[in-house]
Amino acid sequence: MRSARRAAGPWWLALVLTLVFLGPLHGQEPADGWRTFEGTWSAVGRRQTVPTETGRPSVVTALSGTVTITSAAGLAAGFRAEVIGFDDGAGGGAGRAVWTDSRGDQVFTALKGEPVETGRRVLGTLTGGTGRYAGITGEYALTWQYVVRGEEEVVQGRAVDLKGRFRRAEAPR
Amino acid sequence: MTAKQRRRAITRTATLALGLIVWFVPPPDGLTVPAWRLFAIFATAIVSVVVDVFPILTASVFAVAAAVLTGLLTPAKAYAGFANSTILLIVLAFLVARSVVKSGLGTRVGHVIVSLFGRSTLGLSYSIFLVDGIIAPAFPSNTARSGVLYPLAFSLAEAGGARPGEEGRRRLGSFLMFSGIVSLSLSSGLWLTAMAANPIGGEVAKALGVQIGFGSWLLASSLPTLAAMVLMPPFLYWKIAPELKATPEAPTAARRALAALGPLKREEKIVLAAFVGMVALWASAATLGLDSTAVAFLGLGVLLATGVLTLQDIAKEGDVLATFIWFAVLYTLSSQLNELGFMGFLGERLAQSLGGLPALLAGLVLIVAYVLLHYVFVSQTAHMLALFGVFLDVGVKLGVPAAPFAFQLLFATNYFSGITPQGSSANLLFAGSGFLTQGELYRLGALTTALSTVLYLVVGTPWLLLVAR
Repeated sequence: MRSARRAAGPWWLALVLTLVFLGPLHGQEPADGWRTFEGTWSAVGRRQTVPTETGRPSVVTALSGTVTITSAAGLAAGFRAEVIGFDDGAGGGAGRAVWTDSRGDQVFTALKGEPVETGRRVLGTLTGGTGRYAGITGEYALTWQYVVRGEEEVVQGRAVDLKGRFRRAEAPR
Repeated sequence: MTAKQRRRAITRTATLALGLIVWFVPPPDGLTVPAWRLFAIFATAIVSVVVDVFPILTASVFAVAAAVLTGLLTPAKAYAGFANSTILLIVLAFLVARSVVKSGLGTRVGHVIVSLFGRSTLGLSYSIFLVDGIIAPAFPSNTARSGVLYPLAFSLAEAGGARPGEEGRRRLGSFLMFSGIVSLSLSSGLWLTAMAANPIGGEVAKALGVQIGFGSWLLASSLPTLAAMVLMPPFLYWKIAPELKATPEAPTAARRALAALGPLKREEKIVLAAFVGMVALWASAATLGLDSTAVAFLGLGVLLATGVLTLQDIAKEGDVLATFIWFAVLYTLSSQLNELGFMGFLGERLAQSLGGLPALLAGLVLIVAYVLLHYVFVSQTAHMLALFGVFLDVGVKLGVPAAPFAFQLLFATNYFSGITPQGSSANLLFAGSGFLTQGELYRLGALTTALSTVLYLVVGTPWLLLVAR
């Protein structure tokens, strides 16, 4: 490319980004020790498969992405989410996920359910956390709205019906 | 220090300061510190290129150095783009294109096209759109298609007397090169099978209740895309104003030049055979399960083994190395932003912020935002995968008709590819031709993408409401 001269800047992009960062989050007051939350989960990553005697492949999936909380009190508006999952090809799937918020505080999750595919359901158990999520317990479920494969064996998926509940160790029972 | 140097120093300092401010600002709720800081590095690199603080190569190498030295990315992740097959394909296509020019085949093809369409410079641009539009459905890789189109555009520029280094006739080359970029962005949207991300987008749309097939895609895309293909060459002609305009004598001169060239030489025959073989394999790559990059390696091997290309020829292609480095770096940084959750966060939060808007306005804002966000992506497929489903879902929930909206977003996934030179790997051959300055690439990219957006919204929306249900 030849040397440059001044070009028009993408100032409209700044407007879009401002909209993004000013986006609202609706909180919900806790009714008892349990608090509910809802959100979406976007994930990108890779899958490795090996064939099994069942005809279904055994799958290892590693995903990272974003959990956006659309309704909750006591949780951050969003987390970076990392997942490692294993499906044995015979109907048993298990995995672990960790959600990390902007302060670096983490929520740990055990997963079980079906492979990461369109329309499949996953159940999660909140098993603990760090920082402001220390002692957190709870559960959630989600269904993958879509999971598609891109270039270089990348998979990308999104779940829109992430719903669950949580409570902290010190919360009244 | 001259006023120009002083201005440049101030702009450079301001850009760096902006990057540092973003770096040290706490991340918005929902983003981790590494994702936010990587965005600070990526945004600083892109802004520094857009405001002409650094050439794109310089900005990219600083960016990757900063990302690794600050511990944001591991070396393995940061350099992953250098092993990406699409990026390797670009390098190989550059080298193969060199053989077309060197052997004289490019000049011959240029004369043939000038003899058919060469009565005006505008006609040459239309010939690029025509060839591309016809071959596009057979090429799921628009990067591979750029490898076919680029030698054609370059040969046309040379046949018209344009040389990268000669300012007096450069704009003819700029016009034809940017015609190639825009043509690829439109032809990819005309056919379902003309770009790898289109069928994947169809899968996502299906999961959200919108059925898209080859025929329905072509019907939906036909009117807005053909309108854009008709209007874009005169628009570029107006903005670039090539020195050479009407050339009524050019077809006759081209026919005379062709006669003088005589029959095909040995090198031309080899290049022609290699090229035809590569085109055939690229076109059937999906059916036969072939890797497009391996096909290009095979073609390059043939050209080297037959002596049509030599190691000295390859050693002269320094621009290829520069393109390889900056694109691989930006591609990796953008991919890592996606993996760190930044792109998903951006889409989800933008979508949330639109709650309560009327359907028409929400649809419009979502489409414009979807196009503008391509400034932070270095792959059309990655952009589509990260944001298409989110935007479609939110739009439909706000009352935007699903099928027309899905098509609008999928067409945008194609026509926004020229918004920046790094917006698609299919741009790189043209961007690296030497005919286009960095400033021209960003300015023309913004203008043509804006025009495409308007055309698809104004012409496409009523059409889609009629034919897409």
